[in-house]
Amino acid sequence: MTTRLIGIVVATVAIAAFAKPAAGQALPRTADGKPDLSGIWQAVNTANWNILAHAAEKDVPAGLGVVEGNEIPYQPSAAAKQKANFANRATADPESKCYLPGVPRITYMPYPFQIFQTPGHIAITYEYVHAVRRIFMKESHPDGVEWFMGDSRGRWEGDTLVVDVANFTDQTWFDRSGNFHSADLHVIERYTPISTNQINYEATIEDPKVFTRPWKMSMPLYRRLDKGMRILENECYAFGLEHTWLKPPQ
Amino acid sequence: MKNYLRSSIVLAVMVVLAQGPRAIGAADQGAQRPAAPAPAGGYAPARTSDGQPDIQGIWNPIGTFYNIQDLGFQARYQNFRDDPAQRGKSLIIDPPDGKIPYQPWAAEKVKLVLEHHADPTPQFLDPNARCFMQGVPRHLNNREFEIFQPPGYVVVFNMAHHTYRAIPLNGGPHIPEPIKLWMGDSRGRWDGNTLVVDVTNNNDQPWFDVVGSFHSDAMRVAERFVPINADTIEYTSVITDPKVYTRPWTMKLTFVRNKDYGAELYEEACFESNERTLELMLSRPGR
Repeated sequence: MTTRLIGIVVATVAIAAFAKPAAGQALPRTADGKPDLSGIWQAVNTANWNILAHAAEKDVPAGLGVVEGNEIPYQPSAAAKQKANFANRATADPESKCYLPGVPRITYMPYPFQIFQTPGHIAITYEYVHAVRRIFMKESHPDGVEWFMGDSRGRWEGDTLVVDVANFTDQTWFDRSGNFHSADLHVIERYTPISTNQINYEATIEDPKVFTRPWKMSMPLYRRLDKGMRILENECYAFGLEHTWLKPPQ
Repeated sequence: MKNYLRSSIVLAVMVVLAQGPRAIGAADQGAQRPAAPAPAGGYAPARTSDGQPDIQGIWNPIGTFYNIQDLGFQARYQNFRDDPAQRGKSLIIDPPDGKIPYQPWAAEKVKLVLEHHADPTPQFLDPNARCFMQGVPRHLNNREFEIFQPPGYVVVFNMAHHTYRAIPLNGGPHIPEPIKLWMGDSRGRWDGNTLVVDVTNNNDQPWFDVVGSFHSDAMRVAERFVPINADTIEYTSVITDPKVYTRPWTMKLTFVRNKDYGAELYEEACFESNERTLELMLSRPGR
């Protein structure tokens, strides 16, 4: 927890230098004329604790929330399940088990991620539990797979990278507050670069088993400009296993 | 989900009990792409948009990773069909005897792991079976992997454990020494058509194989990826670790293009499925 808070402070300092994009600044572009999203990025918010607006609590930083209208349109039974999830969050949150956190949650966890871009294929490597997403720019979702990180298919709409993500499991949450979805989750992400160092990120959430209508979250992503910046490792499941897993003999 | 979880658990059992033979992609020649001028007698791959020799695709290492010093070990140990061609073979080409030049204390430590190999308590279990990242060089000697070359980088993706390794080509310095990583810190450059990578900042957790061949956090790896035709890469890594070995040693692997997966690897959420299963298997009463 302390480490995470420190991470946020560092990132906040890093972005302070370019809070205002220079007027008329041209977007960096790849050889095929698309915006070049390559680089190391991070969301700087508290959505991983709660995607809705929330006051601070012990070890929970306050936040304005990232959900449009600050309301998640749960069906009645789902609203009850969210309440139960919240009550049991210390152990029921998949993050507490170090599982792959799914999409869009991986985007706003307090760790950096790196985008690698080629015309036919974009890869995103995340620091947290070395999660990986492969975004293929053609073909449709495969049949018969359910993946923690879903299956991602991308296309360009003008300067916006649109990623259609499907084939999820029901084993990931949106945050530490019990907000959840079913395996029918369908996410449409929009990555719109507005300057060299900022991408506006938007995710539309559809899940007819859990919600009464689609809903949306949005947030800026900031380029990490730290000297020598690289994605490091956060191998959650290698920490704290001493109670059952001893280290190899020293 | 259910089917996928089941297959992952089966995989876990295989990893623990067998580390069975891998599917190996066909070594056929395939369609050659237009190539840059070849060095005399050598193979020159096509170039990527930023001018790198293009070695992209999905690859498999040939051979066994069970015991890198004795390729016949797995067949003898698990009592399946012995391959005479593997007898007496090692992946280690230097020293000439094919053995890791351990310091005496380190040789004793490996012996202890081997004694517990048949029925390991958790501390003697191959870290790979626990879904940890395999480290360098083992992630290249552990089933299929993909080489991806976006501008300025070579990135390796493993299907197993969704391990990745980004190798920047920009000549930047290694990260500060106190940071130790499962996959180390790689810095690469192209020397003609050979990819040369220097790997530091390794932690002391991964093993080279299933039988406990190990290194410390002082290990440095000098790698060379040499494409010898469109479907074959010869790979060597020189392993230096003054805390554990009496001298540097060199391992050689051959990678063959894998055409079984088309263009896309699958997600293998290893830990999510395996951890509890392994825990139950290995933490039984009496341990």
